[in-house]
Amino acid sequence: MSKTYYLPQSNEVELFKAAEGMNLPILIKGPTGCGKTRFIEAMGEMLGREIYTVVCHDDLSAADLVGRHLIDENGTYWQDGPLTKAVRNGGICYLDEIIEARKDTTVVLHSLADYRRVLPIDRTGEVIEAHPDFMLVVSYNPGYQNVLKGMKPSTKQRFISLSFDYPKADVEKKVLMQESGIDEKIAQKLVDIAGEIRRLGDCDIQEAVSTRLLIYAGKLITKGFDPYQACIHSIVESLSDEEDVLEVLEKLISLHFTKSLNV
Amino acid sequence: MDEKVGKFWDKYLTKKVSRIHKKEEILFSDINKTLKLFYHLLGGDKGKELHITDKRSIKTSRTLLEKISGNGETFFLPWQDEKGLYLPASLGYFPLKTHNEMHYYWLVALLTQVNIKGSNREAENQKGVRVLIKKYAGFREFYTYAHQYLLNHYPELSTIESSLEGSSAGNYPNPLWIYPSLSSANKLLDSDDEEEVQRQNDEQRKSETLQMKKKSEQIDDKKETDGLLMFLPESIMSLMEQVKVDRQENDSYDEDALYNAEDLDEITLGQKDANLSARLKMDLDISANSIEEYPLGKGHFIDEWDYKKEVYLKNYVCIKPFISIHTEPIALPKRLEKMMRRIQSELDLMELDRIKRDNLPYGDEINIDTWIDYKGHQNRSNHPQRFFETYERKMRDMSTLILADVSLSTEAGITQEIRVIDMIKDSLMVFSESLYRLQDRFAIYTFSSIKNTKVNFHIIKNFKEKYNDDIRGRIDAIKPGYYTRLGAGIRESAKILEKQQSANKLLLILSDGKPNDVDRYDGRYGIEDTKKAIEEVKKKGITPFCITIDIEAKEYLPYLFGRNSYALIRDAKKLPKVLPEIYMNLTK
Ligand SMILES: Nc1ncnc2c1ncn2[C@@H]1O[C@H](COP(=O)(O)OP(=O)(O)OP(=O)(O)O)[C@@H](O)[C@H]1O
Ligand SMILES: [Mg+2]
Repeated sequence: MSKTYYLPQSNEVELFKAAEGMNLPILIKGPTGCGKTRFIEAMGEMLGREIYTVVCHDDLSAADLVGRHLIDENGTYWQDGPLTKAVRNGGICYLDEIIEARKDTTVVLHSLADYRRVLPIDRTGEVIEAHPDFMLVVSYNPGYQNVLKGMKPSTKQRFISLSFDYPKADVEKKVLMQESGIDEKIAQKLVDIAGEIRRLGDCDIQEAVSTRLLIYAGKLITKGFDPYQACIHSIVESLSDEEDVLEVLEKLISLHFTKSLNV
Repeated sequence: MDEKVGKFWDKYLTKKVSRIHKKEEILFSDINKTLKLFYHLLGGDKGKELHITDKRSIKTSRTLLEKISGNGETFFLPWQDEKGLYLPASLGYFPLKTHNEMHYYWLVALLTQVNIKGSNREAENQKGVRVLIKKYAGFREFYTYAHQYLLNHYPELSTIESSLEGSSAGNYPNPLWIYPSLSSANKLLDSDDEEEVQRQNDEQRKSETLQMKKKSEQIDDKKETDGLLMFLPESIMSLMEQVKVDRQENDSYDEDALYNAEDLDEITLGQKDANLSARLKMDLDISANSIEEYPLGKGHFIDEWDYKKEVYLKNYVCIKPFISIHTEPIALPKRLEKMMRRIQSELDLMELDRIKRDNLPYGDEINIDTWIDYKGHQNRSNHPQRFFETYERKMRDMSTLILADVSLSTEAGITQEIRVIDMIKDSLMVFSESLYRLQDRFAIYTFSSIKNTKVNFHIIKNFKEKYNDDIRGRIDAIKPGYYTRLGAGIRESAKILEKQQSANKLLLILSDGKPNDVDRYDGRYGIEDTKKAIEEVKKKGITPFCITIDIEAKEYLPYLFGRNSYALIRDAKKLPKVLPEIYMNLTK
């Protein structure tokens, strides 16, 4: 058993193993806080591989991935970037929020992500063949803020795709209990609340309530906070700034966790 | 004298009998928006609207006092049908505002639980009550209190006790319950209990309470009328009388228009304006100062998708380009200044976004990476020796065309004073101002249609024109048009966007999101054509994004635009603020 706690949502563990067996890279899509990072950590442990994580942003250069020359008292020397390290030594290179990276940065992945499995390094003239244990995993959140960014089809079509969503109620309930230490009754309430808020869908709130936020609420409750207050501060306030939406969410919480219940 | 006493008695009795807490009463109109949201939270059908219910009569065994005063036989009872929920205009059974408000939430919640059909109303309500009080501690508390309070203070309702226990329902309706649909009430309520619904007698009351209902039906009413002339703006009507020309047949505008009207983006209007007005004056003999919609040529034809035959109808739709002339140049209206200041601070944040460009032969700073690289290079003469880097403001390389639907439905009121169309205008002003400050390229067009033969396509600003007071003048002059042939509007816009050179092209559609026209372009046909048009847009490398104002059922929006390609705005008043925010989010 691995140390990192991960409860599968459906068949993602099997798919991950299969892709690993076929040397195929993986693309994970899903909203924020639904367990993507946790999943990769668990998979890394299961396979006994190190994980090299890079959080992408629009200033990320190819050198940040591949590596660069540095100076010391003896002159210059080459320093591998996280991608190159994983390629050389074997391991999972995890590019989080890949969509934020500029497209000219992500093209370095192309030759790695298909049958060639090589990484050419222009600056040193080296061409590295990937270690058998090298695995490439990328992720992004396909929300509306990202419709313009997209991924180049030529990049996208090199991956096995796993689509994540918030865990189903029973899974999410167990995750909540495990991660925040609340009892089943409270966990059930939090999951109910989440289910209701997620129904609002794309109108009125910017992102639906994530598993992460529910865990925050749970942790506050474990710490002795009144459940109503815990939900207001961890869930309600972070979802919207609109007065009327806040009002309804507050109402909803108060129906689940009344003051009198918390004596 | 006798009469006076009689009146006094009357007043006394009414007061005594109706123990409604006037001061603590909650009005539906004050909380209907939050109630609707709440309804959605609890999984209610998003296609249903919330309305005020009409009153209905129920034969009751009144107390003696009530019999004398004639009170107590009509009630405003909550119910629902496929179209909506119907709730009392006000609730005031309880002495605390919070409880009266909670009463509304309770009814809305119960409406998500029950499906009342005639004789099952007891069983259904009891089942619904049980579910609610089990799941929600807050409702449990409210229900326990409310139930007890009603028993104590409204003895005539004492039957609610027995009905809770499951025995036959009393004559007095339980304010905590849902009742059968009013439209079919006669058949559904036990016939002994129910009297004729006295709609005619209640005309006055009805007109008050039905105001809300009417407003939402207004749109549909207009659609049913076929006489198109009815909708022509009055000014045009009188104009037609004056000049006695039938524009349809005897088009007085030259074909050899001063420009090729198909190339809407090529027109630069500033120079042509004088010429235009001269011509127009000649043609129509109207005062040169009144705003006039000037057609740019005779129009041109585009295709439409027929989903039944699965073919494109070639050159089926006629696009008629228009421009408003003689509009008054105006500055940004005062009412929008405050909002613009707030948006500006968000814009500033975006402008801070700078991007590093390295590997330059010259620039602001030396790039250490490249320099070290060079030092460590085996064969230095082979090295490109581009050592410099520069921070530049991010060039966004964006072209955005905003297409606004100005069909009749946009004339529907939000409140009496503010119409959706006014919100669209304000939004366009604020939006233009934002994009102008971001130095992003943009164009604005509006459209509305009457059948396939007339899709009016108005230029507000094309990509070539500079944003200035004239553009604002044109925005200000926007008037509501007719119907929404959405597919046609989208295709025409795509044609224009396609020609832009930018790497990113965005088609922002501002609409109530409902394709419809007076011909068969309604329901499925319109939806399928619009969907097709959206697919075409995507194939052209343009990103479509639809911003819709929530008026009706929007279940098909993801089907039309794709799951992440639309935003719903429930409250049109928020549109001016939200539109630039959505744009910034999209292009960040
Ligand atoms: N299936 C699961 N098993 C165990 N823990 C989970 C699971 N799903 C979610 N979690 C919990 O949710 C938290 C948030 O998940 P995680 O950090 O993986 O989100 P993410 O999808 O990577 O979000 P982001 O896109 O914001 O990075 C984790 O810390 C973990 O506690
Ligand atoms: Mg993560």
